[in-house]
Amino acid sequence: MKKLYSNKLIIFSLVLPGILVFIFAILAPICLSTYYGFTDYSGMGKATFVGMENYKTLISDEGFWMSMKNSLLLAVGFIVIQHPLAIMVAAILDKLQGKAEGFFRCVYFIPNVISVAIIAYLWKFIYNPDFGLFNNFLKALGFEGKINWLGAEFAIWSVLIVLIWHGFGWGMLIYYTGIKNIDPVLYEAASIDGANASVTFFRITLPLMKPVIQVNITMAIISALKQMETVYLLTNGGPGNRTQFAANYLYQQAFKAFKYGYGNAIGVIFIIICLVVTIFLNRAFQTKEI
Amino acid sequence: MEQVGRKKKSFGKIVLFSILIIMAIVQIFPLVWLLDFSFASSNEMFTSGLLIIPEKIKWENYVKAFVDGHFLLYLKNSLLINSLAVFFVVVISIMTAFACRRMKWKLSGTVNTILLLGMMIPIHATLLPNYKIYNAIGLTDTIWALLIPYIAFSLPVGLFLMSSFMESIPIEIEEAAVIDGCGIYRIVFTMITPLLKSSIATVAIMTFLNNWNEFMMASVYLSTPKWKTLPFSVLEFTGQYSSNYAVQFAVMALTAAPAVIVYVLLNKHITKGVAMGAVKG
Repeated sequence: MKKLYSNKLIIFSLVLPGILVFIFAILAPICLSTYYGFTDYSGMGKATFVGMENYKTLISDEGFWMSMKNSLLLAVGFIVIQHPLAIMVAAILDKLQGKAEGFFRCVYFIPNVISVAIIAYLWKFIYNPDFGLFNNFLKALGFEGKINWLGAEFAIWSVLIVLIWHGFGWGMLIYYTGIKNIDPVLYEAASIDGANASVTFFRITLPLMKPVIQVNITMAIISALKQMETVYLLTNGGPGNRTQFAANYLYQQAFKAFKYGYGNAIGVIFIIICLVVTIFLNRAFQTKEI
Repeated sequence: MEQVGRKKKSFGKIVLFSILIIMAIVQIFPLVWLLDFSFASSNEMFTSGLLIIPEKIKWENYVKAFVDGHFLLYLKNSLLINSLAVFFVVVISIMTAFACRRMKWKLSGTVNTILLLGMMIPIHATLLPNYKIYNAIGLTDTIWALLIPYIAFSLPVGLFLMSSFMESIPIEIEEAAVIDGCGIYRIVFTMITPLLKSSIATVAIMTFLNNWNEFMMASVYLSTPKWKTLPFSVLEFTGQYSSNYAVQFAVMALTAAPAVIVYVLLNKHITKGVAMGAVKG
């Protein structure tokens, strides 16, 4: 057994495909990015080594800082609006029985199986100033309903609404599963002691959900950093850089502004930020638990 | 006294139930709106009502969407690429998880950690260098330009889930097999794999959901329609029919349909799979 299980050749053959995929699709591109990040390559012609020039530019680049600010704003939006709603709905849903429970659970998750391409264009229409759903809704309530939702003033909020709306079902489902895993005996004991619904929620459900909430919040912050597709189609970062996000910005710099080298420098910093944030959040939550 | 208490209770129930209904409407109404407008003509859209009752249901919108959106070709591509990605992710993650969790070698932990690091890398940061690499070795506009990154970015989650599920399989089963003279490959593929059925379903669902909707990499690495996937029906249409809004609504509804229908039919299993993966993750 021992001999068979430490056969180097077999081990090598089992891990080789995974390692090859990792090297080819993740490691090699990161190395290449690091290299181009030190050059002024435009996408064509020759690449000249410029040292830390790109990174110096980056520090005072408003577009980049705007993307960081927007990621932070989105993360706050997720944590302050989406997640409390998701926990609340999950807790109510848990108390329902039978067909209604399955029906609501299904409905909440549907936006998640629809392609971001469709979601982004659909919301572009919803925000349409002439016949969009939002302005028509305002008109139905008796307002003028002539708001330019994707204009400079409202664009970032409009983007946040779409992202919070689209991710709601996913967050809800995870909280719902977490709540389902709570031992029902605890609820029985609480009701014998005469606790009402809100006391049960705040004293039993929430504390027991702490690990789930931590995982969910970590994922929300990371996904706020990584946001690209919706913004790319909905506003493409505009107007100005008002709805810019890092991934979209590096894409624009490389393929639209023909600063391929600079785009890669943003990519490198972007990867580092994601790694640091993930590790920091994992650490922060781990020490708290002890 | 008791009656008041009961009334209070039922009032609370109504409030809670209304929250559920309001959230359901918020989540689903935009899609109802989409479906409604897709049957109308473009002129009818400029109303101030929330929904419209089309004078005549315009099936032509869907015919145009179906034909000009290359619906069948893109659907076929999407299905093929996603199925292959799921297959490779499942097989590779089982192999790697077994090697790192069960077999005895010095670097098992290190390799496992490095491969899991992939989870933290923002996928879009690799857009620029990968484009360069694929261009240099002639992979752009081939199926590999999508398959490789799709596998790579679903693999860490797959590996993570497989490893944690594999730990719940008792090692005694393998010991018995070794005594009977089974080789490692037979143990992995004919004994362990069937035991991992439910986790394979979870990994498959997560991989499929992740990649089915992806279009950013596809739009960078592909320029001809040959391997384009379903989201491109929508992306290409908005340019082509920029003034014919109704047809654009139809193409959105049409391309959303396969995933939504499959989800509604299998929603119990999919929900279970996602929930299992999410809680472990």
